[in-house]
Amino acid sequence: MECRVLSIQSHVVRGYVGNKSALFPLQVLGFEVDSINSVQFSNHTGYAHWKGQVLTAEELNVLYEGIKLNKVNHYDYILTGYSRDTSFLEMVVDIIQELKKANPSLVYVCDPVMGDHVIYNNCFLFLHEKILLPVYRDKVVPLADILTPNQFEAELLTGRKINTQEDAIEVMDLLHKMGPETVVLTSTDLLSKHGDKFLVALGSQKLTKPDGTNSNQKICMDIPKVDAVFVGTGDLFAAMLLAWTHLHPKDLKTACEKTVSVMHHVIHRTITYANDVAGPGKRPSPAQLELRMVQSKADIENPSVVVEAKVL
Amino acid sequence: MECRVLSIQSHVVRGYVGNKSASFPLQVLGFEVDSINSVQFSNHTGYSHWKGQVLTADELHVLYEGIKLNNVHHYDYVLTGYTRDTSFLEMVVDIVQELKRANPNLVYVCDPVLGDHGSMYVPQNLYPVYKNKVVPVADIITPNQFEAELLTGKTISTEKDAVEVMDLLHAMGPDTVVITSSDLPPRLGDRFLVSLGSQRHVRPDGSRTTQRVRIEVPKVDAVFVGTGDLFAAMLLAWTHHYPNDLKTACEKTFSVMHHVIQRTISYAHDLAGPGRRPSPPQLELRMVQSKADIEDPAIVTEATVIS
Repeated sequence: MECRVLSIQSHVVRGYVGNKSALFPLQVLGFEVDSINSVQFSNHTGYAHWKGQVLTAEELNVLYEGIKLNKVNHYDYILTGYSRDTSFLEMVVDIIQELKKANPSLVYVCDPVMGDHVIYNNCFLFLHEKILLPVYRDKVVPLADILTPNQFEAELLTGRKINTQEDAIEVMDLLHKMGPETVVLTSTDLLSKHGDKFLVALGSQKLTKPDGTNSNQKICMDIPKVDAVFVGTGDLFAAMLLAWTHLHPKDLKTACEKTVSVMHHVIHRTITYANDVAGPGKRPSPAQLELRMVQSKADIENPSVVVEAKVL
Repeated sequence: MECRVLSIQSHVVRGYVGNKSASFPLQVLGFEVDSINSVQFSNHTGYSHWKGQVLTADELHVLYEGIKLNNVHHYDYVLTGYTRDTSFLEMVVDIVQELKRANPNLVYVCDPVLGDHGSMYVPQNLYPVYKNKVVPVADIITPNQFEAELLTGKTISTEKDAVEVMDLLHAMGPDTVVITSSDLPPRLGDRFLVSLGSQRHVRPDGSRTTQRVRIEVPKVDAVFVGTGDLFAAMLLAWTHHYPNDLKTACEKTFSVMHHVIQRTISYAHDLAGPGRRPSPPQLELRMVQSKADIEDPAIVTEATVIS
């Protein structure tokens, strides 16, 4: 398989978020991954302390220029995630537009990170809602081919609330109209038919058949909840959705089953280890809750499917 | 296996040098790798063009402070390679010393990158820092012949010279020394090059023993970049699994190198086309494609135990 991904995400010295979360699993699956580190921090911002440096939009452009001067600016996929900075995001958009001109078949996998109702602090939420939303809505999402918003982000992007499954389907259709042919609502507050220990995720993929007509596959998944806050799982999800939609391009059901199953295996290995390390009755710390990524190599390579997707 | 490595090396957006060369293979072998990127460049400097940014000694210190404030500055290994900046290198030494205080069993694997084939390709003022500060805190070093000669002030013309140079390097600090390549005449013919290794052990009764090995590896008619970084990372891994058996550790390490290099050169020639020399982008190591060889390298080079 000759498939080259450009991933523009954070780097942390310790732990698994951003590029640290995306690279190893993609490489294990045989993807060539070029990575631009948008920041270098000691660790993710959920720890008591974090320190490091950020890349400016100009510095990002300089790195891209180096790739371009060597005429190696040819990618099959681009992958982006958490971004704090509108000028940085706008430079990312410019780069993607140029890369799409170089390769019109390029697939842009975008996690439009703006927050969640389970937020780390109110300030984070405010910044993203007010400042990043217009850039995502008007410039980023129109370029995206695969989008992985959570419910909150999907609502922000479309201006529509999701209270029922029908709402979710309408929102995914609105997102398709904005650009991406593949949309996965990675988590919602919708009630699962399996009860409150499960959360509901949905996906929708528009395909053009050989005869030119359009078809649309919609799926729904009930995913077991885990009683812990993980960081980096969204980044792993987007990377694995890239991989499994690449390997199952017209079969969102299978791509999502594999992706969600990998997540399940990694999360379970992580929570078990974290609880062991923390000791009985103690809540694991952020350091202890780092994803057990290298230990999950076999699950990443060949995930046994533990969550089934229902075609709607 | 719970084993955590701190690797302080370059990052390139595209290709496999520095941390890009070291992280994936170590992770594939089950090591937890924390990585501090000393630079971020578009690609290695053997391409026609390269662009990017460097980390200052202060910025390195800030990152380390973050790790320390969270009380997670506990490592089993530190791994370093190519550096161009003396203040950066000195900050690395300070960090290694502090990490050794936090964990006295920490093993520092150091590739003392100074030059090759008779000339230095880093600034001259790095030499005294390596000699006086870095090598004394290293536990495993992987110099080539030029670097071994430079650090000890002794030239290598015979295997006996090489053994003496490795003993001199032991006396400077590291218990494990691998001279990764030399000009010594190979027994297997001129399509090979000679590498040597030496490991000092202290027996339970307190007496010292030294295991020395000689390995002849096939030469490849191409310039690769990142192979030294892969070598140091894999020597870390295989000495971890074979801590008292340098022969086996070297056989595995040199064998992995062989598989990766062969895969790379075949691919590069295919891409370049008949009769054409492959370009630097085409010669990037076929790292992800070599995962199986990294996990379980078939032994293709034997190490001979020498006196």
